[in-house]
Amino acid sequence: MFNLLKIVKNTGDVTVKYPFAPLELMPAFRGKPEYDPKQCIACAACTMACPANALTMETDVKAGVRTWQLFVGRCIFCGRCEEVCPTHALTLSQMFELAVTNKVDLYERATFSLCNCRICNRPFAPRKEVEYVMALMVQAGIDANVVNTRRSLLETCPECRRRQNILDKNNIILNPQSIWRTDDDAE
Amino acid sequence: MTLNNSSETPKAAHFVPKLAEVDEASAKLKATLLHNIQRSAYVYRVDCGGCNGCEIEIFASITSLFDAERFGIKVVPSPRHADILVFTGSVTRAMRMPALRAFYGAPDPKICVSYGACGCGGGIFHDLYCVWGGSDKIVPIDVYIPGCPPTPGATIYGFAMALGLLGQKLKEKNHVEAEGDKSAVAHPGAPLDVRVKIERQARLLAGYVQGRQISDQFVDLLEKNDLQTMPQLIEDWCVKADDPRLRSIVTCLKETLDASLNGEAARG
Repeated sequence: MFNLLKIVKNTGDVTVKYPFAPLELMPAFRGKPEYDPKQCIACAACTMACPANALTMETDVKAGVRTWQLFVGRCIFCGRCEEVCPTHALTLSQMFELAVTNKVDLYERATFSLCNCRICNRPFAPRKEVEYVMALMVQAGIDANVVNTRRSLLETCPECRRRQNILDKNNIILNPQSIWRTDDDAE
Repeated sequence: MTLNNSSETPKAAHFVPKLAEVDEASAKLKATLLHNIQRSAYVYRVDCGGCNGCEIEIFASITSLFDAERFGIKVVPSPRHADILVFTGSVTRAMRMPALRAFYGAPDPKICVSYGACGCGGGIFHDLYCVWGGSDKIVPIDVYIPGCPPTPGATIYGFAMALGLLGQKLKEKNHVEAEGDKSAVAHPGAPLDVRVKIERQARLLAGYVQGRQISDQFVDLLEKNDLQTMPQLIEDWCVKADDPRLRSIVTCLKETLDASLNGEAARG
């Protein structure tokens, strides 16, 4: 009995002080995905990786915008988005106090503009993604001025690039079911 | 019947969400009681078809380590005794009626908590055929606690919020891309092909998350220092970290670096 009391005394108080003091977390604790909209290039890699569809991306071709959305309520904090993000725009933070009274507060959105093809004038990629590709080319050792002169080529959709390389191109329709086409811009 | 893919209406019209009703008098009573709560709050957990992970975390938060009972939060075995109903699980077709029976069985006024990723929005089961996708489809919810499952800390925070003791931290965010926004390239000082090779090798050896952290640190060293001092800096880093796994990974990365640099020299 006396021995037991001694053990109790030596062990002390094990209950954490939270919420009166901050909770001690492990360094690898996975909390809310922290999003940096400035770094994001709207490539949608995270939305492909997200197993719970907490991350979604919708493209509105008519308005020329792409909307990224995080619904924290569905997030399972697996960290796959952080793994696949090519620009470090998503990192899992230590934030775990996520309870809300209003469901709307669980959403985070970001809107990005699309880049129009120079030839067919249809949006084909997010503008920031094209810019990022050009920045990577500069990093890979190509002169910045040379990259800039290639801008018109880079801002052309793959379909139009292929068409430009074909002789007698006016007779051919490539990929008529392209996802970027809308009903009213049929030729 | 046509299928609709819009997010507002259910994909297949096999159910129509209808909220359980709360009469005005009890809503008013709840607001008054929450304004000045002076007693314990008893919790009953309603399993609407969860995986049991949330239940385990609820019981973890009433153990001695987190001890929710010091705030008077007690888990009770019957909805008749409950002040707070905790709905876990994504509301399967079979568990909808039992959940509603528990809801109507609890005396008014009551606080409804949507617990876990499944309760908040269906979680990973949100588009299954037999799933209603969240407890807010069947009962009026006061507090949403996301997490898969929510940690005991998040649970205590959520209950404190339900009782009006702590404030909400998360807010809705809408970012709009500014004109001329550009995302920065990582490690602009290091050659791209070397960086890619090192990152691939590190991710192969240490996994995606730790691999990236190690390669980031490695390329950072490479970027800021010249090649002659690299071996010494790597040695310092390994000694400081005192981890044989890190040492072997970093040795491999150094070999990759040397190989790619020698390859470049050989090319011309």
